Amino acid sequence: MALSAEVLGMLAFTLLAFWGVSLWALTRTLRQESRKVDILEQQDRMDTYSPEALAELREWIEDHPNDPLADRARAQYNECVDVVTQTDRHFYDWSDADINRLERL
Amino acid sequence: MSDTSPKTARDEWGTRFGFLMAMIGGMVGAGNIWRFPYVMGDNGGGAFVLAFLTLLFLLAVPGLMAEVALGRYTNKGVIGAFRDVVGRGGMVGFGVVVLLVNIALMSYYSPLIGWTLYYAVHSLLFTFTAPGFEAQAFMDSFFANPALMIALHTVVMGSIAAILALGIRRGVERIVVYAVPALVISLVIMAIRGLTLPGASEGIAFTFGVQWEYLIASETWIAALGQALFSTGLGWGIALTVGSYLREYDDVPLGGGVFTAIGESSIAILATLAIFPVVFAVGVEPDAGTGLAFVSLVQVFPEIPLGGLVAILFFAGFFLATFTSGLLITEVSVTTVSEETRLSRTQTVLAVCGGIWLLGLPSAYSTEVLDFLDFVFGNWGLPLATLAIIGIIGWVLGPERLRVLTVNRNAGIHIGTWWNPVIKYVIPAVMLFIMGYFAWENFREPEMIAGMLVLVLFPLIGYAIMSLVEGRRDTTDTAGVTGGDD
Repeated sequence: MALSAEVLGMLAFTLLAFWGVSLWALTRTLRQESRKVDILEQQDRMDTYSPEALAELREWIEDHPNDPLADRARAQYNECVDVVTQTDRHFYDWSDADINRLERL
Repeated sequence: MSDTSPKTARDEWGTRFGFLMAMIGGMVGAGNIWRFPYVMGDNGGGAFVLAFLTLLFLLAVPGLMAEVALGRYTNKGVIGAFRDVVGRGGMVGFGVVVLLVNIALMSYYSPLIGWTLYYAVHSLLFTFTAPGFEAQAFMDSFFANPALMIALHTVVMGSIAAILALGIRRGVERIVVYAVPALVISLVIMAIRGLTLPGASEGIAFTFGVQWEYLIASETWIAALGQALFSTGLGWGIALTVGSYLREYDDVPLGGGVFTAIGESSIAILATLAIFPVVFAVGVEPDAGTGLAFVSLVQVFPEIPLGGLVAILFFAGFFLATFTSGLLITEVSVTTVSEETRLSRTQTVLAVCGGIWLLGLPSAYSTEVLDFLDFVFGNWGLPLATLAIIGIIGWVLGPERLRVLTVNRNAGIHIGTWWNPVIKYVIPAVMLFIMGYFAWENFREPEMIAGMLVLVLFPLIGYAIMSLVEGRRDTTDTAGVTGGDD
């Protein structure tokens, strides 16, 4: 029995959507892991937030200064700012302009 | 754990690959192998794939991210995680609900792992390709032998206890980093064998043929919903527990969410390619459950070249899929009980595995009991656990807090604010719908009544236990972090 183009198309789509995405996620996360290990072998600390995520964290802290988790959030924010400003190698893509704008809370 | 009891530092995954394989090993189970292929073919093939994929990305991926993140945020098992969020008191009892559901689930899953072990051993003995072998008679005589069932249940729980006693890194991780790739390799080889058989294309046409009309049928979406939620193990406490052992700089959303949900479903797709081409090539009627694995497929092996070896690959893979799930389901209870008591890990493993073994005896003795419990906990117990975990994230901790504090910290992909309403509204609403739907479908049936008892009694028992236990403890710490306002 010859398979129709529709069946073959769906088979290809399914393999791409499942195995393609899984293998992409697996490769990407394992590569990121090796980069993290590489960075941590050279320096004992590493940036923990991307510029976008750190900006969101700052916005949340400013919007919720009295939240029970605000101190924890501030500590995490300041930790990332310190690492980004004091270390040479970063995991996330930080431009010089991004780094110059950073301030501890 | 008592606040003053001295315990060594918390274990953690040794490698990123170990964490990822633990997630996949925990989530891939019998359903991926013996249920998914038939459900897919029976619900419009390609149309089902589209519905399933949509629901995976809409519910399972964000939900798993939330559950792993809660484990990572608290670095605790289910009860400890609930206490960190809701503060001390009876409400911690919802963590007990998750624990009870896991223990109940494992009590009937262990005998099922025993079935796959029995068939794996017989595949190694080439029983299925021996002259005069009768698949149906073989299965019937197996299920009619309670002593054998109980012996297998004992072997399974004993093996799980031996591995868990070694700890996370030396026990669980060492097994899953080999077992999960071995499962994938065995299914790939079986798929290649199946796809090269004459007549295999009919199996492909059955499962991947697109019947678009199914895309607007509610049954297709209900089946896809059940598969997307139950196959990925969302909200059972497994992802929370596995996530609690993540290392300082580990990512949550890419590995714990996207890879886990799509990766474990990929194994179901691979199982489809491994099983149905073989079944159709030999002209056996497609089926699901025990009928597929223990009758249809077993009838197929003698009919195909190298059938004895294909049988070994299939049943070894099937056993690994169920065994790694059993390992991680039991770890949920071991982690939690170890933290909440003064018992050492080894003592906890013995107590938990012994308890599960005892509770599993009725299911090992009678397949009717197993089927009953599977139906009750599958339709109401597990959704209740999911509702409890996603409920405290969505309505107590608050998804925005978790997103900015944990999900996007060290993350491999950025998660935007779209995630918050999914966690707060969509997943809880879907879980309530599922419980209501199954209650309506089975109205006044004994299973439905038992399910309602689980829904009412488990939270009451959990609340009563934790009110009593927490009332006796020092209350100077852990005020909880209620009041997430997003």
